[in-house]
Amino acid sequence: MIAIGLEGSANKIAVGVISHPHPSKPPIVLANLRHTYNSPPGEGFQPKETALHHRAWVVRLIKQAVKQAGVKIEDIDCVCYTKGPGMFAPLQSTALAARTIALLWKKPLVGVNHCVGHIEMGRAITGANNPVVLYVSGGNTQVIAYSANRYRIFGETLDIAIGNCIDRFARVLMIPNDPFPGYNVEQLAKHGKHLVDIPYTVKGMDASFTGILAAAELLAKGIDEKLPPEKRLKTESGELVTKEDLCFSLQETVFAILVEITERAMAHVGATQVLVVGGVGSNVRLQQMMGLMARDRGGSVFATDERFCIDNGIMIAHAGLLEWGTGVTTPLEDSGCTQRFRTDEVYVGWRDD
Amino acid sequence: MVSPAAATIEPIAPLRPPTPPPSNPSRPLHTLPPPFTSSNLQLLAQGAEALVYKTTFLTPNTPCVVKYRPPKPYRHPTLDRRLTKARILAEARVLVRAGREGVSVPRVLGADWEAGWLVLGWVEGGSVRAVLDGWTERVKNRRKAYEASTGHAEEKEMLDLMSRIGSCIGHLHSIGIAHGDLTTSNIMLKSPSADLNSTTNGQAAVPSSTSSGSAIPSLAGQITLIDFGLASHMVPHSADEEGAVDLYVLERAFSATHPAAEPLFAEVLKAYGQSWKGAKGVLKRLEDVRLRGRKRSMLG
Amino acid sequence: MAQVRTILLPHFEDYPVQVAMFKDVTNASFLRSQLLQANPDFDYAFLDAAMILSPLPLFLAITLSLHSTLSPATSPLRTRTPHSELVFRLHPNNNIGESYRKFGISDDTTNLIAVKFSLTPDVTNESVAKHLSEAVQGVSVDVGEDGSELGLFADLSKIKKIYKVNDGGVKGKGGKKGVTDQVGTVKDERSALENIIMGVMTLKGS
Repeated sequence: MIAIGLEGSANKIAVGVISHPHPSKPPIVLANLRHTYNSPPGEGFQPKETALHHRAWVVRLIKQAVKQAGVKIEDIDCVCYTKGPGMFAPLQSTALAARTIALLWKKPLVGVNHCVGHIEMGRAITGANNPVVLYVSGGNTQVIAYSANRYRIFGETLDIAIGNCIDRFARVLMIPNDPFPGYNVEQLAKHGKHLVDIPYTVKGMDASFTGILAAAELLAKGIDEKLPPEKRLKTESGELVTKEDLCFSLQETVFAILVEITERAMAHVGATQVLVVGGVGSNVRLQQMMGLMARDRGGSVFATDERFCIDNGIMIAHAGLLEWGTGVTTPLEDSGCTQRFRTDEVYVGWRDD
Repeated sequence: MVSPAAATIEPIAPLRPPTPPPSNPSRPLHTLPPPFTSSNLQLLAQGAEALVYKTTFLTPNTPCVVKYRPPKPYRHPTLDRRLTKARILAEARVLVRAGREGVSVPRVLGADWEAGWLVLGWVEGGSVRAVLDGWTERVKNRRKAYEASTGHAEEKEMLDLMSRIGSCIGHLHSIGIAHGDLTTSNIMLKSPSADLNSTTNGQAAVPSSTSSGSAIPSLAGQITLIDFGLASHMVPHSADEEGAVDLYVLERAFSATHPAAEPLFAEVLKAYGQSWKGAKGVLKRLEDVRLRGRKRSMLG
Repeated sequence: MAQVRTILLPHFEDYPVQVAMFKDVTNASFLRSQLLQANPDFDYAFLDAAMILSPLPLFLAITLSLHSTLSPATSPLRTRTPHSELVFRLHPNNNIGESYRKFGISDDTTNLIAVKFSLTPDVTNESVAKHLSEAVQGVSVDVGEDGSELGLFADLSKIKKIYKVNDGGVKGKGGKKGVTDQVGTVKDERSALENIIMGVMTLKGS
């Protein structure tokens, strides 16, 4: 079974081709390509520009992916695309491309939930069979556990997503967007030493991050080099607080929040495995903290690197092909997309545990 | 603007075989800080947040619960100390406040927030969860035996119990405290016989679910709320929401027990509605929370 | 010979505590002067029994001062000695002088509770009994195993005042349908007050 998958829910347009040789064998990646739209420093990506970017690139990516995969069109069983959640305009461009090739090649369509794509991809490449999943990206922050054919959300953000929080924090500090703000925050954090107080809000298994943004504005003002030294923010030992210290403090605080809500979910369902997926999941410090927590509970953490943490077409092809295998397809008239699409809305017919 | 010609496509390396991380069989055990030594402690629960032990404190006849929040190795030590202290104090303050206002909750017997422990009074009795489990079991059996009449007296007692639960929650909310984790396991029926200063260390008045189905337990005893680890003083602008979430969590716990238990919850809400002046606003908000399913729909 | 009760607090079994009670004490001012002079023979916590509601709050103060003595890293002593710490721990606020004025012995104290920690082997039930027999002019009151006599001379109104409990005591339980029987009311009020005191003592300094 072979599927092509199209992903475009945020600022990346990606196409992947995957083969499922046999249920007992691991899937084979035949092609996995993407192109990222980077907005200028200090700005986030806007829906209109991002959609234009996706439209400009999608045909080229599809052609190249099929060529690279070395498959004939007739070997492809289905066309998978991200139905949601995500930004509407970029999602729409991607869905349009998927419908076009499905009609052109006379293949069934499978609309895929982006979050489920991340989860299934993470499970496939790490071998974690039934983990609690922390899904952390620019648009999502969820703690998920599988139960009775659903990926149920145990905890989530009550306001903005973690990736969004880090991006906006970076923007306030004028940290560049290339390759992505979180990466640059992570590099700066490695040189930070002093922990600055940053709001820590956990409610049960849910988290809140908006308080951090308000604090970020104040902190950014406090380290402005144009201020006279006596007015600048200082540590307890009297040293000037640096941009590196702020990145360090941000990471230590928000990742502690994420690990804490994940641990609560693990205790709740009695799990010892944890899988981290989504763009923020490629952060090495987050993985390290999660590992320490899991070890304390007698378990372990499974993390993927940025090739699969970051949005990609393969995860959509993979999850779509699993669903197609259960006989589910998306009729043309239902092949739209949706900004809001909860992880627990998907019936997970391909798992029977 | 987009300039496709200037950029190149990123190829992504193909899948490699799964490499699960090494598991750790040598799991570190937590050692309690002084003065607690493991010899006379009985571990009751190991939650994500705290280890909960039963032991005695102050006198050999004063049973208590020790809640120990071990340091989290993943957390920066400064942040860890800050959070541990804040949470122990928050729980203790809420309990002292509730106790002063006459809500039946465990008493606070001591703490060292730098070391991470809090000692609370032991509540002798059974949980409402056990009561509900036993009751639904008997209802099922009666239905099988077609003897609906015998359940009449018990039905009345159950409704009275529900009413007391509703009043108790109303009382807690009326003093501005939200419980934060209001499940049926966290509502106890304190044994009337359990004297405050002496431990009977014996039979709880309400049998656990394992002994259900036969004798009908006494439903006397004071409604006592436990586990205030997630409790908070309500913020005025979100008090309706916090109160409604408490009720919603409890409603879910009722319906998870057994469908037959759901009508009982109406009685809880009825008594809650009459218990304090802010109840109307909370009940109205509860309708929204039900529709929303606690969580709002999320943007991608 | 004065009667002294040796208390073994759970988790502090290696550190016995000697407790004695006296009524009709006539030499309070002498005892107080010895404390003020820091006479090493008078290293005790002398407490006005009127301020002790019941054994548990006293045992909590003893426990907390012992804990601070043994684990200063997490719970530092806030006064100079374990005995002064005990007096300090009873008071709701952080003023040491005020703690001595309210809970310590005064010149007109007639009912007295004396507490001494056995932190060294030479301090035993016998040594304390012997010394107190000589030092205190008053009638020794036997303290039973559960310590219930320690609340015998409690002055409820003074105690309520210092812990800021209204005269109505603790508010009604469980609303209209409260299940407490009327017989239990006085006992309930005491135990409610006891719980408040212990809560306040626990939270002190937070």
